[in-house]
Amino acid sequence: MKSRPNWPAGLFAVAWLVIVLGPLVYVLTASLRSRADYLTSGTLAVPENPTLDNYTTVLTGGFAQYLLNNVIVTVATVAIVVLVGVPCAYAVVRGTGRFVQRGFTLLLAGLAIPAQAAIIPVYLLITRMHLYDTLTAIILPTAAFALPVATLVLTNSLRDVPRELYEAQAIDGAGSFRVLVSLVLPLARPAIMTVVVYTALNAWNGFLFPLVLTQSQSSRVLTLGLWNFQGQFGTNIPALMAAVTLSVLPIFVVYLIGRRFLLSGLTAGFGK
Amino acid sequence: MQSQRPSSWYAVPAFAFFGLFAALPMVLVVYLSFTSWQGLGTPTFNGVANWSRLISDGEAHASMGRTLLLMVVSWAVQTPIALLIGVWAAGKQRSRAVLSSIFFLPLLLSTAAIALLWQALLDSNFGIFAGGPQFLGDPDIAIYTVVFVISWQYIPFHTLLYQGAARGIPASLYEAAIIDGAGRFGRFFNITLPQLRYTIVTSSILMLVGSLTTFDTVLILTQGGPGTASRIIPLHMYITGFSGFEMGYASAIAVLLVVLGTALSVIVTRATGFRAMSSQQEGS
Amino acid sequence: MKIWALQDQVLNPIEQKSIDSFKAAGGNGSLETFGNDPYKQKLRVAIGSPNAPDVFFNWGGGNLKEYVDAGKIADLTPVLDQNPELKNAFIPSVMDGAKIDGKQYGIPMRGMQPVLLFFNKKVFAEAGVQPPKTWDDLLSLVDTFKNKGVQPISLAGSQAWTELMWAEYLLDRIGGPEVFKAIRDNGAAGWKHPAVLESLTKLRELIDRGGFGDNFASVGYDMGGASTIMAQGKAAMHLMGSWEFVNQQDQSPDFVKNGDLGWTAFPAIPGGKGDPSNVVGNASNYYSVTSDSKQLDAAKKFVSTTLHEDSYVQALIDAGDVPAVVGVEDKLAKAPNADYTTWIYNTVKEAKHFQLSWDQDLPADDATFMLTQLQELFLKKVSPEQFVNAVAAR
Repeated sequence: MKSRPNWPAGLFAVAWLVIVLGPLVYVLTASLRSRADYLTSGTLAVPENPTLDNYTTVLTGGFAQYLLNNVIVTVATVAIVVLVGVPCAYAVVRGTGRFVQRGFTLLLAGLAIPAQAAIIPVYLLITRMHLYDTLTAIILPTAAFALPVATLVLTNSLRDVPRELYEAQAIDGAGSFRVLVSLVLPLARPAIMTVVVYTALNAWNGFLFPLVLTQSQSSRVLTLGLWNFQGQFGTNIPALMAAVTLSVLPIFVVYLIGRRFLLSGLTAGFGK
Repeated sequence: MQSQRPSSWYAVPAFAFFGLFAALPMVLVVYLSFTSWQGLGTPTFNGVANWSRLISDGEAHASMGRTLLLMVVSWAVQTPIALLIGVWAAGKQRSRAVLSSIFFLPLLLSTAAIALLWQALLDSNFGIFAGGPQFLGDPDIAIYTVVFVISWQYIPFHTLLYQGAARGIPASLYEAAIIDGAGRFGRFFNITLPQLRYTIVTSSILMLVGSLTTFDTVLILTQGGPGTASRIIPLHMYITGFSGFEMGYASAIAVLLVVLGTALSVIVTRATGFRAMSSQQEGS
Repeated sequence: MKIWALQDQVLNPIEQKSIDSFKAAGGNGSLETFGNDPYKQKLRVAIGSPNAPDVFFNWGGGNLKEYVDAGKIADLTPVLDQNPELKNAFIPSVMDGAKIDGKQYGIPMRGMQPVLLFFNKKVFAEAGVQPPKTWDDLLSLVDTFKNKGVQPISLAGSQAWTELMWAEYLLDRIGGPEVFKAIRDNGAAGWKHPAVLESLTKLRELIDRGGFGDNFASVGYDMGGASTIMAQGKAAMHLMGSWEFVNQQDQSPDFVKNGDLGWTAFPAIPGGKGDPSNVVGNASNYYSVTSDSKQLDAAKKFVSTTLHEDSYVQALIDAGDVPAVVGVEDKLAKAPNADYTTWIYNTVKEAKHFQLSWDQDLPADDATFMLTQLQELFLKKVSPEQFVNAVAAR
């Protein structure tokens, strides 16, 4: 398609660039300033004597613990979702039982349940299971609420697998487990990647479950840690911005390495 | 042949998981909405007291109104911007690819990080508008500030949806239109928009249900304030349940939230004759 | 053994140290801390759960009573009876703050925290004015500072408990402590007492006069804004709990070092029923022991041995706190900031009544509702009459 440069759109894009990038630049520059400088020279001033002190403050203020907790929660949630989601999707697509189809319908209805609406009973369940204030308390419901989307993405991808491939495996005498391992897993790999990214982002950035289901510093995750830093640092806004920067860093690295995977996981199939 | 089919057991772990932490809570929340429970001890049945209270609770009605306002305004703000940028970013030019990779950056920040960042920027004493308009402190403005921050966070996501969809529009449609002498606006309104209609519906459902369940942003950014100026339904539920410890009444509000969310998805889907998955992400 | 306390950069290390020495003596325990608003929520949620802390920080009063009524708190009276030295170690009026139906459910563990009026001496000197002694003084100061472009009173209005301090003092000065006592003990109808309306009307006048400036609604105390603008001289006064001194020392050390931080009692209101010596605030904070604790004896031992220990009391004093322990005048005099801590100590000792913060003294649901209404009052969304009608109808 031939096209002249689209000036109005270009201008709009540049304006949007400022809106998007401005605050991010602010976070970075603010994090390099001292508290006194920030409070007297204004919000947007350029750091005159850039300092990394704020990063030291954050890193010695429990950040490593929060980060580790976040990693544990994320990895465990993803592991659960993939481990139970893939066999489930396989059973839904290739299984014959009515039970599975009904269950799947129910699972899809779960797409419409907001986590907010479930938080009080989930809190009740978690406390009765004696899991309150543990990382497990975050992991279990987070995984459960990621399952509907995950299973949907996986079933959609498995439905695209030609029936002949399954039949060829059957002729070889493969049982259902071998089919799962040698056929389903490799073919569903892109979908699994999508599910991994989608679940990981949800777990990484989760707020409500950790907020209600944990409280001690030892089980605090990053999002809550950030919020907590706010009370801890007071008007030391540069330190808070350093904490924000550090919290974004891991995801930013993933973005640099695998942008396509990250973006496709974000839209989790909605972008088709 | 049958032996090769996966048995139903393959699906049991997933169903059990989902059943325990998502389906069972839905049953429980309905049950709790008919009880009085102060967070301590066990819930006691109190009939429809919570529900009749919900009907007459002025604060709940006001929260409801604010929620609707938030949904409508944030939809109206986000849709055109995301649509335009998405279509623009779908172009193959290198500059567009570079810019759009920057446009997606807000997607990398957690809601907590975004709320803290904007709170610092808009602080009434040490922010960029210190001494000027009270974006967080003026009861008439605060909710629009929330809309702005939500938009800043989620427009990139919807841009991504539109970019993907716009790239899927067959180039031949545009070529034919150019031969017919259609201008840029004509092509946009006669080809791009109609071709994107399913994406518009998907994106709109995600936006509307996302705004309905907005929580983290408001909790951190304004705590529903000033006063109750930005207290929306999920926050009202949270404050009732976890500050006032009226868990039974908060459950009634939660049920209302589920009903609204489901109704919304169904209405939008029906009204647009679009039968795709209706869904939401936590907190989106 | 899990011990929970409110987050405090200065006091947490002292609490940690006392736990460490308890551990060194063969006990165990770990300290966990939370910010103000989250703490209140999390405590409630946790006490109802099997993962409750063994020992927890609280404010005493009606809030503690709810937990006591639910059978969640261990009665410490026997411990005190066996240990007269412990019983007599604390100021009685402060011990009363954690006494419910004649039984003791908490031991004071931090300083006494009356609310007082802080001010920036430099700003006052530049304006050539004196700190207010009466309500009328305060009103005229508001006009003076407004004319000089200084915000008269700093207020962290995004957190309703800061606004509550104004309402508490006004009601106590005008109607005396009995008015609120009636509300707490006899129910919401007590809000209809004319003194409530009168005090809120005075408060509304102060708001209308511009006493709090116009941007308080989004300023949070935890975020430090309200304290910082007073330290910077952008605001003249700040009504806050006595912990503000330590907070200022930490956040704006030069301001305190230069002697610019001044303090005074809440102004008297001539003709009011309340004694001008009365204070509001937190009598102290208390450690209470949960009755379901798996380490009940260890927890009781912890609260009964560590809190009046010389080293702990001295550490609190060194940090600028004023412990509710009897006979510490000499220690206070020798410690830094002796003039401040002695002032607090004497003020509390001489106060006819110490009114616990209302939000701690009312059941949580009523307190939450009342705080919301109060924020609306400060925003002029509801009038004093509407406030009274709303809270009285609960």
